[in-house]
Amino acid sequence: MFRFPRVRIPALAAGALALCLTAACAPPGESEDAGSGGSGPIKLALVDAQSGQLSSLGKWEHKGVKLAVDEWNAAGGINGRKIQLDVFDDQGDPTVGTNIARKIASQKYIAMLGTAESAVTIAMAPILRQAEIPNIASGQSPGMVALKSPFLFLNGPTSTTYDESLAKYLVDDRKMKKIALITNNGAYGKGEHDAFLKAMADRGLKPVADEVVTIDQKDFSAQLTKIRQRGPEVIFLGAEEVESGLIVKQARDLGIRAPFAGAAPQGTPVFIDTAGAANAEGTIVSSPYLSNDISEQSKKFAAAYKAAFNEEAEMHGAKAYDGAQIMLTALKNSDVATGRKLAEAIRAVRYQGLLGDFAYDGTGVGIRATSIGIIKGGALTKAGG
Amino acid sequence: MQVFLQTLIGGLSLGAIYALVAMGFSLVYRTMGLVNFAHADVLMIGAYAASTFYMSTKLPFAVAMALAIALTGLIGLFIERVLRPLENKDFTLMLIGTIGFGMVLQAVAVLIWGATGHAVASPVQAAPLELFGLRVRTYDLVVLLIAAVAVVLLVGFLQRTKRGAAMQAVAMDHEAATAVGIHVGRSNAIAFAIGAGLAALAGGLVGPLLYVNPTMGGTIGIKGFAAAMLGGCGNIPGAIVGGLAIGVLDSFAAGHFQGYSELMVFLLFTVIIMIRPTGLFGEMTVSRA
Repeated sequence: MFRFPRVRIPALAAGALALCLTAACAPPGESEDAGSGGSGPIKLALVDAQSGQLSSLGKWEHKGVKLAVDEWNAAGGINGRKIQLDVFDDQGDPTVGTNIARKIASQKYIAMLGTAESAVTIAMAPILRQAEIPNIASGQSPGMVALKSPFLFLNGPTSTTYDESLAKYLVDDRKMKKIALITNNGAYGKGEHDAFLKAMADRGLKPVADEVVTIDQKDFSAQLTKIRQRGPEVIFLGAEEVESGLIVKQARDLGIRAPFAGAAPQGTPVFIDTAGAANAEGTIVSSPYLSNDISEQSKKFAAAYKAAFNEEAEMHGAKAYDGAQIMLTALKNSDVATGRKLAEAIRAVRYQGLLGDFAYDGTGVGIRATSIGIIKGGALTKAGG
Repeated sequence: MQVFLQTLIGGLSLGAIYALVAMGFSLVYRTMGLVNFAHADVLMIGAYAASTFYMSTKLPFAVAMALAIALTGLIGLFIERVLRPLENKDFTLMLIGTIGFGMVLQAVAVLIWGATGHAVASPVQAAPLELFGLRVRTYDLVVLLIAAVAVVLLVGFLQRTKRGAAMQAVAMDHEAATAVGIHVGRSNAIAFAIGAGLAALAGGLVGPLLYVNPTMGGTIGIKGFAAAMLGGCGNIPGAIVGGLAIGVLDSFAAGHFQGYSELMVFLLFTVIIMIRPTGLFGEMTVSRA
């Protein structure tokens, strides 16, 4: 008699577990139809680096998307259905990304937002294309457009746009001729390298130095010393936030006084912190979103962002917010369609966002302009003239 | 010429860091015959601890470093204590145990400090020294100096103190050492604690040079491990030479092979190891369990 209850507890537990495995404990949403005509929540996947050196990007992007989704949910969702946003950590790693792509396809997510990493997006794209899952990504590598996937959209301009604007400002407006390049060999750096080199070639210019670093490199003395000897007027920088910061810090220590110029990563607080505000001073940045004070819309966004997360909004959050708004608008317009129909609906959306007016064409690019900013006193400000 | 010398100088300070990491690997390998795969993550914890004490509690850099070294020393003792029952029984499980500890430390770092990391301001504000057109960062000199002092202290400890001599004896023959009354477990614990302290020293010093985040152990750890192997694992002078060699090699490869520098460093490393499988200063390898 004494033993009886002892035997029963594990047996009960095993029974409960078995029951759980068969039906009751299926992941949320799996048992319901997430597609059109369904009644459960609308399942969206957010894929971004939530750990590793690129996790700042992932966190910003997550906040931007979450803000948009929360707004829509507070207003009653779409057709009375709530929007469910699930976060996947790709660690900034394309291999992890492809695994996640398969998971998203098998768990019947309608659409995907992210990643902020061009290389990860490119790795995931073939699987998403086959599974017909539309994706609005935050990378800017022209390599994404080259895939020609009808399911891949960008929430910002490509490197070609960023660097054309930058070259126009540096060469046409400021009359700079001696330009050095330092870029990394990752998907982002390679895209920047090729796009800026083309923009220079279009103006009949050749760089005085063209140095490539690896994405894991920590000491840049060899490349920076070569650049210093050429005495450039400006140094074009194509690398992510942390690495760019280290390059600028070491360049100043080596006595390089020339300003740096770059795109989105060079406008972020992580870049300024890593380089040190004094070292980053004067950096020229090409970006579609320079500050939170540009328009009424961006002020409103920044206030909501501050209220939700108690920190200042910045470009990546704004980009992701725009992307999420477009996705949700397309879902609403199409009556929660999936696959090819949803992709068509995204292409049809005309949206006036924080970054500008979105109008997608066949390439998946919706925005084709950036403005020029300069880092002054540790913050990004609009370039005068 | 100028590029050559500047590249050399650039490689030396990171080389000194790799040497410190390699010394930690070597010390534990020498006494226990075990590669501590958690070493790189202990370094990361040390970097976080030192930079947090330094930046948020505004302690002087040296005090922050001392606290970080004490903290990781305790972590080292803890790891050894957990692994001790396996000593001389299951070597593979001990190795897997250290890998597991590494992952746990990363997860703990994410829990405490978040996943994004932070930049550390340099504790030395002096302008770089100018010598014949070369620029030497004052902080690099500080790093080299501290690394040199650490080497002298460690070698002094191993060669001149009774405890150090006992550790050497354990390294040579742990059964004979036990027979003459040396506590092998305690000896191993000290090796682990000093190794972890060295990792914290390297991590604390590298913080202002790089960026502190939970995965920083990865790149520094693999180079430090390569440095230990290159010098001949278990050999302390070898670890120093190996560390400086990897640092300088890395720096030159970056200049000459640009995007392919990482590939070239490890290709050269492989060639050297093929010619001298025991490393540059390789003696007999310790094989226990």
